Amino acid sequence: MSARIVIAGIGSEYRRDDGAGPAVAERLAASSLGVGDVGPLGEPLDLLGRWDDADLAIIVDAVRSGAAPGTIELLDLNDDGTRPGGIASALTSTHGIGAIGALRIARAVGHAPRRVVVVAIEGAEFGAGIGLSPAVARAVDIATARVIQLVEASR
Amino acid sequence: MLVLRHFEQRAKPMTHGNSRVISVDGLARVEGEGSLHVHVADGVVTDVALSIFEPPRFFEALLIGRSYLEAPDITSRICGICPVAYQLSACAATEDACGVSPDGRVAALRRLLYCGEWIQSHALHVYLLHAPDFLGCADAVELAQRDRAAVERGLRLKRTGNLIMETVGGRAIHPVNVRVGGFYRAPSIEEIRALAEPLRRARDDALATLEWVAAFDFPTVEGDYRFVALRAMEGYPIESGRVVSSSGLDVTPGEFDGLVIETHVAHSTALQARLDGEPYLTGPLARYALNADRLPSIAREAARAGGLGDVCRNPFQSIVVRAVELVFACDEALRLVTAYEPPVPPAWEVPPLEGTGFGATEAPRGLLLHRFVLAHDGTIVSARIVPPTSQNQLTIEADLKRVVESSLDLSDAELTSLCEQAVRNHDPCISCAAHFLDLSMERQ
Repeated sequence: MSARIVIAGIGSEYRRDDGAGPAVAERLAASSLGVGDVGPLGEPLDLLGRWDDADLAIIVDAVRSGAAPGTIELLDLNDDGTRPGGIASALTSTHGIGAIGALRIARAVGHAPRRVVVVAIEGAEFGAGIGLSPAVARAVDIATARVIQLVEASR
Repeated sequence: MLVLRHFEQRAKPMTHGNSRVISVDGLARVEGEGSLHVHVADGVVTDVALSIFEPPRFFEALLIGRSYLEAPDITSRICGICPVAYQLSACAATEDACGVSPDGRVAALRRLLYCGEWIQSHALHVYLLHAPDFLGCADAVELAQRDRAAVERGLRLKRTGNLIMETVGGRAIHPVNVRVGGFYRAPSIEEIRALAEPLRRARDDALATLEWVAAFDFPTVEGDYRFVALRAMEGYPIESGRVVSSSGLDVTPGEFDGLVIETHVAHSTALQARLDGEPYLTGPLARYALNADRLPSIAREAARAGGLGDVCRNPFQSIVVRAVELVFACDEALRLVTAYEPPVPPAWEVPPLEGTGFGATEAPRGLLLHRFVLAHDGTIVSARIVPPTSQNQLTIEADLKRVVESSLDLSDAELTSLCEQAVRNHDPCISCAAHFLDLSMERQ
């Protein structure tokens, strides 16, 4: 039986680079990837129920960490929803409870995905407005390719 | 957006001689971002300011020059929690401007879609955002660890709401099936009837929710609220109605638009609304106070069993009122599912007409008003969107003042926690009005 994979791009396209996640999700949904559960999410808590018991959940989100805009980092979350190495115990989100909180709740009720990978795209501009900054727009294509690689490696 | 930080966002009480300062970098379990400042001097609260940082009228500006047919899709992106509220207020306003008023099967299907949003939004707030306050849990994760069955029940309810939104709206997040005049596609009878069984389970879960929250301990506080809500020709208000208040107001949405004055204040980029110069409250407490007689018997009886009279003025008991509305929304959705007949065609024709239109619906958090001015070809000339949280902002500040004044003997940490809870009582969606909440308090 093939692996069940869920992909969600989190963010709002009306908050400039916060739209990076939805932009990647839209590209993947239009691709021949063959994963059914792909889509943009404005509210990370809606991952609950959607990713229950999946083999792999890929969360694409804009990130602000101080790196150069457009930098892509893959965060493979371990069992307690933190990054290996420990710094992601401080991974917070502006999306209410956030994807990490959603993962911790999912684990507490026993329906968490077996593996969660966050594809983080460093943003530059998060004010109100439409359109990704140039570096982030370029990163969307690369992030899309990274997600496809992840999916193919998991099949 | 994720933010990588090397510290936890928590309250930071500080004492400087007679002056005490409490700050919270991010107030948890509130949608959006903003900040809260409380100043206490000689045991008296001298200033309470709920500040909101974001150009709140971005979407109004974005609508100008766009086609009226685009309004539902654009406004649905304002809020990830209540996209249907924005879609259906936008539809109501554009249809009002064009002199069309879809009723019958289209109206029933819209009401069903809106019930889905109420169920998912109220379940989210009751279980994951608000209940931890009453149970001494730091957050929903701790609650899930301590009472897995309760959180599973809440998630089951939320999933049922999402299922309705997916079935009717095309997808749960920013539904794509809604259009001016109705829907792009009417779901089949089989698709809608398949919701009946999950809804029966959800109604039982909602009754269990009410029993659960009614047993919480509530601070004894009552607000002198001026309630404002819709009241429809029949039924509990969701997608239409006149605007009524506890002080005798009874007007159309258009007349209400003329009475609500919004002003800028120095500490907030969001507008603060007043009705005839006075603060007011929309949302579950207001809807319930002005429409308790319209609830179906199952919800009325559940409310009584939960200890509620026909009016509830204790903001901390808003969680009980939300649970009553959960029972109502599940029961109402089940009624609509049972009676469903697909609208044919799925949308009314709405040719453009020059003029002004008003739309008011009941978002989970409260009354949501839209006003659009259309040119003869349907281009939007101007737009006004008045979200629930900007209407409630002054009342939330008044609540905070009341709570702080009655609890000055608490430690800074305890008082900060109580303030956070007082804000959460009203389930503010600050991302609709603005974004992100920090809290600071000064005591002298």
